[in-house]
Amino acid sequence: MPEIARAEYLGELATLEASALGGLDLVNIALARTMEAVENQDVELAQVVIADDDRIDGRYLEVHQSLITLLATQSPVATDLRLISALLHVLKSIERMGDQCVNVCKVIPLTGNYAPVDPRMIDLIVQMGGHTRTLILQAKRAFEERDVEMARDLVRRDDAVDELNRKCFGLALEIGDDADKREWAMTMLLAARAIERVGDNAVDIGEQVAFVVTGLFREFEDASHPS
Amino acid sequence: MLGAATKRKATEESRQTMSDRPAGTTSTEPVTKAGRGAKTIEARDVDLFYGDFHAVQDVTMTIAPNKVTALIGSSGCGKTTFLRSLNRMHELTPGARVEGHVSLDGEDIYSKGVDPVEVRRLIGMVFQQPNPFPTMSIYDNVAAGLNLNSRRVPKSQKDAVVERSLRGAHLWEEVKDRLDKPGSGLSGGQQQRLCIARAIAVEPEVLLMDEPCSALDPLATLAIEDLIADLKSRYTIVIVTHNMQQAARASDVTAFFNLDATGKPGHLVEVGPTNQIFTNPTEKQTEDYVSGRFG
Repeated sequence: MPEIARAEYLGELATLEASALGGLDLVNIALARTMEAVENQDVELAQVVIADDDRIDGRYLEVHQSLITLLATQSPVATDLRLISALLHVLKSIERMGDQCVNVCKVIPLTGNYAPVDPRMIDLIVQMGGHTRTLILQAKRAFEERDVEMARDLVRRDDAVDELNRKCFGLALEIGDDADKREWAMTMLLAARAIERVGDNAVDIGEQVAFVVTGLFREFEDASHPS
Repeated sequence: MLGAATKRKATEESRQTMSDRPAGTTSTEPVTKAGRGAKTIEARDVDLFYGDFHAVQDVTMTIAPNKVTALIGSSGCGKTTFLRSLNRMHELTPGARVEGHVSLDGEDIYSKGVDPVEVRRLIGMVFQQPNPFPTMSIYDNVAAGLNLNSRRVPKSQKDAVVERSLRGAHLWEEVKDRLDKPGSGLSGGQQQRLCIARAIAVEPEVLLMDEPCSALDPLATLAIEDLIADLKSRYTIVIVTHNMQQAARASDVTAFFNLDATGKPGHLVEVGPTNQIFTNPTEKQTEDYVSGRFG
C-alpha cells in the first residue's frame, strides 16, 4: 500500500487550520467581555476589548500570510485547496467578528454613566450575545469535525439572534419622543446590529464547512432572495 | 473503413494542394486546416498485455476532439502503454497484444485490413526524449514524414509544408535562417518543437505525447504547453505526464490510472474535467494521488 507522503506540509496545514479556528476562541472571549461591558456599562472593559482586537487582527495577518506561502510553495489541490480557500474566508469572517465587538465597545462610552433608559433593551442585547457565542462555538466545532449538518443548524440558531434584533428595534420605537432617550435607543440599536452581524459571520463559516466537504459553495440562506 | 476514408482524404488533399496551396506559398495557415478535423477516439474494454503480463485492464473512455486529455498516474500504472495502444505502437513490442476496441471517429483502428502505418500517420506521436534524426537538417527532419509517405512531393510544396509545420510548432522564427543545419544542434526545447513540427507535417488528426516535457527546463516546458494550447484547436491531443501541475495547467480532461499493487494490471480510476479532478475528485484514490499523498 502507498505510504502517506508530504507529512511536513500536511502538519503545517493542520497547524494553520487550528491557528485560524483558534481565532474564534479569541472572538468568543472578546464577545463575552463586550457583553459584560454592555451589561455593566463598563467603559474600561470596553477599552480592553478594543485594544485586544489587535490580537485577532494579528492572527488574521499571520495565518493569511502562511496560507499564501503554502499556496505558492506546495501547489495544494483537491481537498487541501478547498480547505485553504475556506480558511482564507473564515479568517476574514473572524476578523470582521472582532471588528463588530469593537464597534459595540466604541458606543458604550456614548451611553454615558447613567442607568440604562430601558433595562429590557440591555437584556435583549445580552441575550443576543449569549446566542451568538453559542453560534461561534458551534461554527468552530462544525469546521473541525467537517460536519455539514451541524453547520446548517447554524442558520436555525441565527434565526433566534435575528428575532432578538427585531425585538430591540420594536423596543426602540416604544421608547418615545424624548431626544436623550431616542439617542440612547439608537445607540443600543447599533450595538444590537453589530451582534447580529457576528451571528451572520458564524453562518458564513458554516457555509465554508459545506464547501470543504462537498466542493460546492452555496449560501445556506440568500438574504437578497429569502425563501 | 479507414482505408476508404484515407483514400478520400488523399483526394481532398490533392485538390487542396492545387487550389489552396500555391507553390512556394509563405502563408501561415495551419497545415491541417482545410479538409481535416480533430477526431474522437473511443477506447472500449481495452486490455493490454506484454506476453503473459497483463499491463492494462478494461479501459473504457472517450477522448474528445479539440481537447487536451492528460493521462496521469504513478509509474507502472499503464498510462504510457495505453497511449501507445491508441496508434498501434503497442504491438511493435514483441509479445505485446491488445484486446478490446479502439476507434477513430467510429472506425476501428485494429480491424483487419487497416494499415498500422497509416494509423500512425493519422495519430502522431511525440516522445519523452526529443528524437530528431541526428544526421538530418532541420528542414529534412520536418519533411521526413512526407518522404516516407511515398508521395512524390514537389520541392516548392515541401517548402510550404516545412514552413507551416515549423510555424505551427512555434519554431519558425528561431530556425528560418538555418534550415540546412542539423536538427541535433538545437536546444532540447527546440528539438522537441522540431519533433512536434515533424509530427504535424504529415497532417495527423490526433497527437499523442508521451511526457513531452520531462527532459526540458521550465521555460521550454511552458513553451511546449503554450504550443499544446494552440494545437488543440486543430487536433485531438492526448498527453501522458508525471507532472501533475502540467496536467492541471495544460489539459481540459484528466484521466487517472492506478494499479492495486506491483504486478497487477493498471486500470482507469477516474476521468473527468481537469478542474474537477484537481478541486473535487470523486474517487479517494484520485484525491490521494493529485494531493501527493502517495509515497
